[in-house]
Amino acid sequence: MNRRLPRTNDAGASPGVWRLAWQRLRRDRVGMASLYVVVAFLLLIAASHFGLIAADWQQEKGVSFANPSFLPHLENREAQQSLQLQTAQAQSDPSHLAQFRAVDPLAATYDQVQQRALSYQIKEPARAMTLPFGGDKWGRSVLAKMIKGAEISIAVGLLAALIATMLGTLFGALAGYLGRWVNDLLEWFYNVFTSIPYLLLIFAIIAVVKANPALQSQGLLTIVLVLGLTGWTGVYRLVRAEYMKHTHREYVRAADAIGASVWRRMFVHILPNISHIILVQLSLLVVGFIKAEVILSFLGFGVPVDMVSWGTMLDEAQNELVIGKWWQLVGAGLLTMAVFVTAFSLLTDALRDALDPKLK
Amino acid sequence: MSTAYTHVAVAAQPPQLLRIDRLSIGFRINREDVVPATRAVSFAVPRESVVALVGESGSGKSVTALAVMGLLPKDSAVIGRDSGIYYNGINLLFALPAQARSVRGKEIAMIFQEPMSALNPVLRVGAQIEEVLRTHLRMGTRAARARAAELLSEVGIPEPQRRLASFPHELSGGQQQRVMIAMAIACEPKLLIADEPTTALDVTIQQQILELLQRLKTRHRMSILFITHDLALVKRHADQVVVLQDGVVREQGGAQQIFRAPRDAYTRALLACRPGLDRRPQRLPVVEDFLNSDLRVDAQAQAFPERVRGVSADDAMVLIVNHLSKRFYLRSGLFEKQPLAAVSDVSFRLPKGKTVGLVGESGSGKSTLGLALLRLHAADSGEVLFEGNDILRLPPARFRAYKRRIQIIFQNPYASLNPRFTVGQILLEPMQLHGIGADDRERRELALAWLRKVGLEEAAYAKYPHEFSGGQRQRIAVARCLTLKPEVIVCDECVSALDVSVQAQVLNLLQDLQDEFGLSYLFISHDLAVVRHMSDYMLVMRAGEVVEQGESDAIFHAPQHPYTQQLLAALRN
Amino acid sequence: MGAYLIRRLWQMIPTMLGVILLVFFLFTQFGGDPAQVLAGKITDQAQIDNIRKELGVDQPVYVQLWIFVKQVFTFDFGRSWVTKEEVSHIFKQRAGPSLTVMTPILLIELLLGVALAMWVAYRRGTVSDRAVMIICILAMSVSFLVYIIAGQYLFGFVLGWFPVQGWSDNLWRNLTYFAPLPILLAVLVGLGPTIRLYRSVFLDELGHDYVRTARAKGLSERAVMFKHVLRNALIPIITNLAMALPGLVLGAFLIEIFFSIPGLGREVKIAVDRSDFPVIKAITVYLAFATMVFNLIADLLYRWADPRVELR
Repeated sequence: MNRRLPRTNDAGASPGVWRLAWQRLRRDRVGMASLYVVVAFLLLIAASHFGLIAADWQQEKGVSFANPSFLPHLENREAQQSLQLQTAQAQSDPSHLAQFRAVDPLAATYDQVQQRALSYQIKEPARAMTLPFGGDKWGRSVLAKMIKGAEISIAVGLLAALIATMLGTLFGALAGYLGRWVNDLLEWFYNVFTSIPYLLLIFAIIAVVKANPALQSQGLLTIVLVLGLTGWTGVYRLVRAEYMKHTHREYVRAADAIGASVWRRMFVHILPNISHIILVQLSLLVVGFIKAEVILSFLGFGVPVDMVSWGTMLDEAQNELVIGKWWQLVGAGLLTMAVFVTAFSLLTDALRDALDPKLK
Repeated sequence: MSTAYTHVAVAAQPPQLLRIDRLSIGFRINREDVVPATRAVSFAVPRESVVALVGESGSGKSVTALAVMGLLPKDSAVIGRDSGIYYNGINLLFALPAQARSVRGKEIAMIFQEPMSALNPVLRVGAQIEEVLRTHLRMGTRAARARAAELLSEVGIPEPQRRLASFPHELSGGQQQRVMIAMAIACEPKLLIADEPTTALDVTIQQQILELLQRLKTRHRMSILFITHDLALVKRHADQVVVLQDGVVREQGGAQQIFRAPRDAYTRALLACRPGLDRRPQRLPVVEDFLNSDLRVDAQAQAFPERVRGVSADDAMVLIVNHLSKRFYLRSGLFEKQPLAAVSDVSFRLPKGKTVGLVGESGSGKSTLGLALLRLHAADSGEVLFEGNDILRLPPARFRAYKRRIQIIFQNPYASLNPRFTVGQILLEPMQLHGIGADDRERRELALAWLRKVGLEEAAYAKYPHEFSGGQRQRIAVARCLTLKPEVIVCDECVSALDVSVQAQVLNLLQDLQDEFGLSYLFISHDLAVVRHMSDYMLVMRAGEVVEQGESDAIFHAPQHPYTQQLLAALRN
Repeated sequence: MGAYLIRRLWQMIPTMLGVILLVFFLFTQFGGDPAQVLAGKITDQAQIDNIRKELGVDQPVYVQLWIFVKQVFTFDFGRSWVTKEEVSHIFKQRAGPSLTVMTPILLIELLLGVALAMWVAYRRGTVSDRAVMIICILAMSVSFLVYIIAGQYLFGFVLGWFPVQGWSDNLWRNLTYFAPLPILLAVLVGLGPTIRLYRSVFLDELGHDYVRTARAKGLSERAVMFKHVLRNALIPIITNLAMALPGLVLGAFLIEIFFSIPGLGREVKIAVDRSDFPVIKAITVYLAFATMVFNLIADLLYRWADPRVELR
């Protein structure tokens, strides 16, 4: 039946496999819609990365737990309390420490610091009562945090997935094509890695990193490496199986017969033929790593404390929900993370369908 | 979808058992497009007769059979509104599901091409047969079991009681097909549909299955709708023949008439373009020869003079193979490995400009031998002398020069071309690797020349393999070999996956190239007729050993080894 | 069978050694000086030296490795650095609660997952199939954290149907009172991926030729699904299940943390927080061994369920 499929190319122009896949993807409405969402997110995080938007996420612009702009009249007891506290502080005389001044040699310095702090407080603009999507405990804009959090979470997911996929592909290609002792060695390696339950392996590594100051100060790189270096096993398994299958395919034998070298057969002939499988694995890993980063950051093992990710937002959201402040949970957990992950997963499915090389 | 035809009454006991009326089926490939598979196919199956439905791939013959069984994929198949498949006055196409089910398996049964995959791998053979009896005849467990054993012995399976408890994978291919047949005849159906039932089997087994079907047909007074791509196969058994091409009936009539005096040019071509055992024309006729002229078959055959083949003592030997052996290892027991001889102690010589045929059934080791010659498999022992050098022992660097001179064409044209390369890249790569041509521009000119040589247009250069048919792809594979100007080409079942009409074209191409460039072929095939047509000298292999070798014509006229005699007998029937 | 088992066990030895080496070098090479970790901010050199001696870290690497190997095979990892509790005691104490929560989760997920997957596979291509698949993807995209936070808030705080958290010493009370909410939430989260996985298994089976044969026999679609397809699909499902079993011991650690269930998962989290190396090392090594055993069981089950595979 295959050869009777209508030719989609116009006279002359000959579509390659990727172009045909793109044509099929274009016909998939769900796939295209998710593609647009994913692209929109990528543009958003690019803008955020270059400081065009959400650069000021750390500024405390609103009152504590500022209401979302679309719900300005919700009761906000926390803000009122903190406002009262602030006014009380501002009215109190900093000279209440006067009694210690005589004995404290650093008193003069303290005074200066106090003065400077006061001057800053005065310069600070009035805190807004509402923010576009509400504020957190310190009055930071949840919307800005959502964008910045998306940048960090997605970046971690993408980078870690790239590392894991490249490792898995390299190992899988070597083991699957070369076989023999290379295969035995890598299989041993794989068995060791997979016999430790995945989360436990990550926890063990994190425990080590936490205890080692030299490793701890690496910031984002730590979590990217931890996820990337432990997550290659799935890709390895699949790529190895594909290589074992393709090694005995006639086109690879033909390449051998015309004198193509081992490396050429592995990476020029076979790799493009399984690249669609690797691409799908990569997208699956991105989703998995984003979810993992969220959980690890929530536990305090993920991104550094001076950064924001969807996970740290959910960590804060846990206590906020109890006092009725739901916007951080909805903003991070549903509006950004769930939307992005859904779109990415649907896109992965659509890609898988579009790339399925029924046409051989 | 309309059920209007359900009510059309047909006179009681019509002379025909099954009537197919203007059957049009298409497959939906996306929201807008439907690809037609059959167009207004009409024919009838009379009672107690064998009707052969013959056609090449894409002719719509299997689709027709699946439509009769109601097994078309529901989500993609589109059935024409005025199409009808009438059985006992019911249009099966638009019957209620329950009604269709009571016919399916009971009145009309079907057997398939691949018995191994058609049987459920995790259920015992007995359970699978008993299931039919229990579903349609409401038999009890014990009665069904006894009847299943009877059925197994009827289809010629020894020790039926014991075999009931076997799993499908424990049986040979022929036995699996016998189990399928037992399952199909369990409810004494009036019609048995056999979809290429022997294609996946070896020649000798094929013959037994055909005879079994013929016997069962007479005993149970049933009709058989026999679907095949091989017209010659049904010559002895069919009462009527229907020839399909591209979803349209080209010709139908009594078997006598079809084989003696085919009216349609396509039928004539099908009969003539398959190499015969008694003739060896210089060039095989192809479909175009018939479509463009009104010549009769006999006249056509005479238009192609015979070719004389054979080897002579003063032929220069391009390749000498001595005592070649190759073993594979199967794991057994705790740590031991059990050797399995794929090729054992094979010796032969390949004369320059001639063809050595290598014939054998599946698992005979013939392909392994071919791959070992090119070092695509490492041989265990023996030598392959090319100009006096043992190419099996050469260091890789020195072997490279010989690699160019021995090339191979594989069986499956869908797998042997890299789908991610354009035809241009496929043809340039070997020349780049071996430094043929000064630069890519010159290589491109060479590649275009080779494309023309193998009968393809230059436009093919920029296209991808998936845009070509099986025969065209095989031409590309031939062109790829030719770019290296090899002296020896191993043809490993290189026409087995092709339709008969395309097969003739590729065989002609290979012959032309041999005549022009003096190529030497090692021609590997399971098909004796093709091997006889192509080869000057031949080897017969079984279980890794060469049981007989000699001049092709001599072997065909007076086979010495019983195995060769058996093979030839199966073919002559 | 016997020969196969022996060979498989024999093959497990290098993997075990690999796990021991991996864990050992991970903690000794990258874990910093354990004495520093233990001593915390104490700067008294004598005290640190004392701790080093006690832990054996002043010995050469191979001696330390030997100590570690001995610990693994004598099931004696000593005491927790923080609580001074025997590590083996921690195992005994914490495994029970994890199993109490995880066993129902696994069983419910399996039964619901297989049933729903079979149903959508049966109705493949229809609107209900597509709808279920999209719901699955949506459900999978929401973080586990959101389910737990929102679920605990809604069912625990607002509606008061379940206790917010807690655990007792009574198995029955745990199962009927404390466990239902965690189980409900974990099943909700797990169902999406389970249905997707099993659906693809069923669809894969439906594409095989034996299904066509079964239909050609005149069997009803229901008989085809239950007699032929389910029997074949069980092979990958059983394998998958056996592989999931080691997770049973570790538990859904997030569930344990949120609901204050004193299981192994929560223990690991606490140990990581406190840099309690002996506990993490012991749990890692033994769970790795458990995984190997379960993989072997999965393999045996697979071979038992599939008559085509010979146990050689």
